[in-house]
Amino acid sequence: MSDATALGDGPTAKVAPSPARRVPVGRVVVSVVVAAVLVALPFMFPAFRVEQFVGWMALAIAACGLNLLTGYNGQISVGHGALYGTGAYATALLITDLGWPVWPSVAAAGVICFVVGVAIGLPALRIKGLYLALVTLAVATLFPLIIEQFSSITGGGSGLSITTPQETPRGVIERPIRLESPGGSLAPDQWKYFVFLVLTVVVFVVMRNIVRSRTGRSLVAVRDNETAAEVSGVHVARVKILTFGVSSAMAGIGGAVFALNNGRINPSSFTIVVSIYFLIAVVVGGAASVIGPAIGAVAYGLFIDVLSPELPERFKPATPVILGVLLILLMLFAPGGIVGMWRTSAAKRAAKRARAATAAAASGDTV
Amino acid sequence: MMRHRTRRVGLATTAALLAVVTLAATACGGRDDDSGSGSTTTAKEGGSSSAAFIDPSVDCTDYQGTEGINGDTIKIGTVRPASGTYAIYDQVTTGLNAWVTYVNQSGGLKAKDGKSYKLELIKEDDAYDPAKTPALVKKLVEQDKVFALVGDIGTEPNLSVRDYLNEKCVPNIALATGSTQWGNNKQYPWYIAGLPSYATEAHAWIEYLKESNPKAKIALLYQDDDFGQAYEKAIKKAIKGTDITIVAEQGFNPLGGTTPEAAVTKLSQSDADTFIVGLGGTPCPTSLKLKPDTWNPATIVSVTCAGKTALSLAGGKDQGVIAAQATYDPSDPADAQVPAVQQFRKDATAAGLTEQQIDGGITGPGWGFGSLFGLGIENAETLDRAGVMNALWSLDTDSFGLVRDGVTVITDGTEDPWAIEGFRIVQREGDGWKELSPITNWEGKSNSFAG
Amino acid sequence: MTDFLQVLFVGIGDGAIYAMLGLGLVVIYRSTGLLNFAQGEMAMFSTFIVWTVWDLGVPLPLAVIAGMVGGFGVGALAHQIAVRPVGDPHEKPLAVVMVTIGLFVGLNSAAQLVWGTLDRDLPPLFGSGGIEVAGVAIAWQKIGAVIVLAVLALGFYLLFQRTGLGLAMRAVASNSESASLVGVPVPKLLMLGWGLAAAVGTVAGVFTAPGRGLGSNMMQLTLIFGFAAITLGGFDSLLGAVVGGFVVGIASSVVPQYVPGFEKMPLAPAFILILAVLLFRPEGLFGRKQVQRV
Repeated sequence: MSDATALGDGPTAKVAPSPARRVPVGRVVVSVVVAAVLVALPFMFPAFRVEQFVGWMALAIAACGLNLLTGYNGQISVGHGALYGTGAYATALLITDLGWPVWPSVAAAGVICFVVGVAIGLPALRIKGLYLALVTLAVATLFPLIIEQFSSITGGGSGLSITTPQETPRGVIERPIRLESPGGSLAPDQWKYFVFLVLTVVVFVVMRNIVRSRTGRSLVAVRDNETAAEVSGVHVARVKILTFGVSSAMAGIGGAVFALNNGRINPSSFTIVVSIYFLIAVVVGGAASVIGPAIGAVAYGLFIDVLSPELPERFKPATPVILGVLLILLMLFAPGGIVGMWRTSAAKRAAKRARAATAAAASGDTV
Repeated sequence: MMRHRTRRVGLATTAALLAVVTLAATACGGRDDDSGSGSTTTAKEGGSSSAAFIDPSVDCTDYQGTEGINGDTIKIGTVRPASGTYAIYDQVTTGLNAWVTYVNQSGGLKAKDGKSYKLELIKEDDAYDPAKTPALVKKLVEQDKVFALVGDIGTEPNLSVRDYLNEKCVPNIALATGSTQWGNNKQYPWYIAGLPSYATEAHAWIEYLKESNPKAKIALLYQDDDFGQAYEKAIKKAIKGTDITIVAEQGFNPLGGTTPEAAVTKLSQSDADTFIVGLGGTPCPTSLKLKPDTWNPATIVSVTCAGKTALSLAGGKDQGVIAAQATYDPSDPADAQVPAVQQFRKDATAAGLTEQQIDGGITGPGWGFGSLFGLGIENAETLDRAGVMNALWSLDTDSFGLVRDGVTVITDGTEDPWAIEGFRIVQREGDGWKELSPITNWEGKSNSFAG
Repeated sequence: MTDFLQVLFVGIGDGAIYAMLGLGLVVIYRSTGLLNFAQGEMAMFSTFIVWTVWDLGVPLPLAVIAGMVGGFGVGALAHQIAVRPVGDPHEKPLAVVMVTIGLFVGLNSAAQLVWGTLDRDLPPLFGSGGIEVAGVAIAWQKIGAVIVLAVLALGFYLLFQRTGLGLAMRAVASNSESASLVGVPVPKLLMLGWGLAAAVGTVAGVFTAPGRGLGSNMMQLTLIFGFAAITLGGFDSLLGAVVGGFVVGIASSVVPQYVPGFEKMPLAPAFILILAVLLFRPEGLFGRKQVQRV
């Protein structure tokens, strides 16, 4: 029951084990419905909306990485915006300056961010808790400045377009990159959506496997009590550094998706505010839950991209006020986020069921 | 343990399902309204001056020339920051909105087809975040089906959608920025700036210095981005071959977190007799305030800083400041007497602007951006997107909006992409400006001033 | 040399501001074990209160006092309605940190709603003049900032070390449960801590505004420097905040001017210093070592 005390999280659901070999019908139905909706979305919405969805995926991937570090391993990072930016710039520079194809660039962005993450993680062996949070905050604040300092490579404050040579009515010119489906059967936005959806799902499946593995359990053990974990044979230093690396790689891949979705990046897109968005996505969805950051990213995206533009003109400047108030209310009434709320109610239902089948409830619960 | 495995199956199923359906969807084909980018035609030879600058049959693969014109209403869109750090620029859009109100109150814009057209303005908020702009512009174009974008704010937000709008052949008129990048209209013919090029402004400063202080020693403070670097490069280009030198320079990074005080202080220790402040936003007036009293150079400020709103933040240190001016300043007691300004004040008040908004100096440009669009509609030979752009690429008129009398408004698609290229040099005196040197028009030269 | 000294004084002036913000952060950390991300925005909000009162015609020093009272109210209120109900920061650090982030986001745009998006001009508290010593001009405002900082730091020191109230606050910080058992009114003291932190933040805001323009965003990056100050000095040390503030202020003004490669990264030297210090003393220069319970 090691994951019962997530950082700022409510109680983890203790779902009563189903009787052996029963097919979890409900779960399959939910999976199919979710998959069907995800597939249908780009056909139901206009292109601009679909591109916003891809932006949510970038956020979800990065938040997933942050969740591994903050939710499961207990190291609060306010600096993942810097890694997101590193991934974005790595992708852009590899494609534009070195002429790399898209996918190797995305993979390289992940690898680069893994290395950078390990480098940031090294001091984390000595620096802990809130001091570490502030070091990551400094990294986040520094990132856009580093981009500006090295403007000869990064384009500085004038931004950087991800371009490839393309044929246009006015001759062959360097144009923003386009991801197009083979044969052109899907609109570019739809193709982008599906490609990155698959990537997002892969990242979350990887995340899930990490969390459920032996390594994942040692992550949580380190979070809950470092000394105790050390005593019981967990290699704390290796776990921490590896977590930092993997978490950073995910943030970097998120950044790559962001860059490819927009086609143009700018240091002002990677300020400290981005790191805060990631934290918001994690806690709104639910820290230390695999799917939480995805739900949080969607909730945040819905608020920023769908709901707030509908506000009456007079209240537009109030958008952040509403966001702030909602965040505080959520922390007051459901510190476990949306998943936490769901788990609590699921736990209640499960408890009811457990009372009905008291015999089965006592054994078998060995997560 | 069992629960464990079934869960994994659940997720794996989801993933597999997604993959399968994705492939299926790919095979089935996408949305119908996608334009695709297949058919490529030969590049247009820019040069034949008799023909219209834009020929949609050559330049566009899927040209929707009259989209956004419904009966006697033309729908236009604009993107600006209504929230966040740069929400102040929302006032530009307030000015644009007032101009639209004024047009509708006075019966609409008269096009060459003899009909009058009313306007509908749709505003979107990108919080000045270039990552948010593309989705909003695509919404305006694809969902709201606007005819054109007018007065979009910010260099980066506008750059983030330049290729898209160019490919869609949707006009982006009177950009609220003077980046030198808008001079590239041969490649991006659907973009026309609403402000003069920052490079031309810098050139005007140096021309003035050549007369007033031919051996000027400049201390240069510029914003370290596209905006400030435009000044920096143009100044360096303009002083070549003169006796004017830059004796000290400092780039200021607004994201850096410090005030410009250290930079100004260091500059003040140089032997410069001229201080050029190429900063935008509040750091511009505060750098006047932070300048040590022991240093008293001739101080030249960016036009973005030369309005009542900005200079009121200089803590009284705005007196004697020099700027290049292309438009009237309604808060200047001298300009307030000009009939065009009095008319503007009357119209703008009727359209709902307050005295404070009119005098502040931020709504005026927005009003002007609308007026430039209005010129395009009124002069278009055929009322469609290409017709309006071609009208704007062959302007020859005295004035629009608050452009000063004597500043010529001439464009030529192939030669001269800048509507405003004339400046006079003025010095701050009381609440107004004293003319130091009269208007000079650098018609058709703006691109050559850019560094 | 003159120009170096001149730039050095810019750093000292900035450093005093960062130290004031740091003091507020330390006070909250001491009483609640929490990093308050909203410290800068609370300061901004109450500086607008100062401006409003001053704009009505009240002399600036009185307006500052009014703003401090208003700031105390903002801080205490924020604690009562948002922070306290979430629970103990030691148990739910992420939730409490997120609440302060919510306050940060909310207060920032609330100020825009109330006072508009135009920046305002707040004159320097000590006037715009200065003195000249050996060719180096020093503004009264900078001298004033250092003096005010000294008074505030001393005041907090005396409060914590020499008064019964301070003793009770320290008791709450080290073990609020035991403190509560011996009859210390814990919630009231925590509210007091937040109020005091916001009041001292007002002063930081009043010194920040003339250099940056009084606007809703003026404290966002300033706060980062305040955080840097206390990270360097130690979260729970008043002396650390003061020393850290000056070190960060001087490093971020002087280094970008004189060391090539740092021109556009004013925060970088401070950050490198922080990293170096933390690697040798993970609790900061003056912080107390945290003991982990098993």
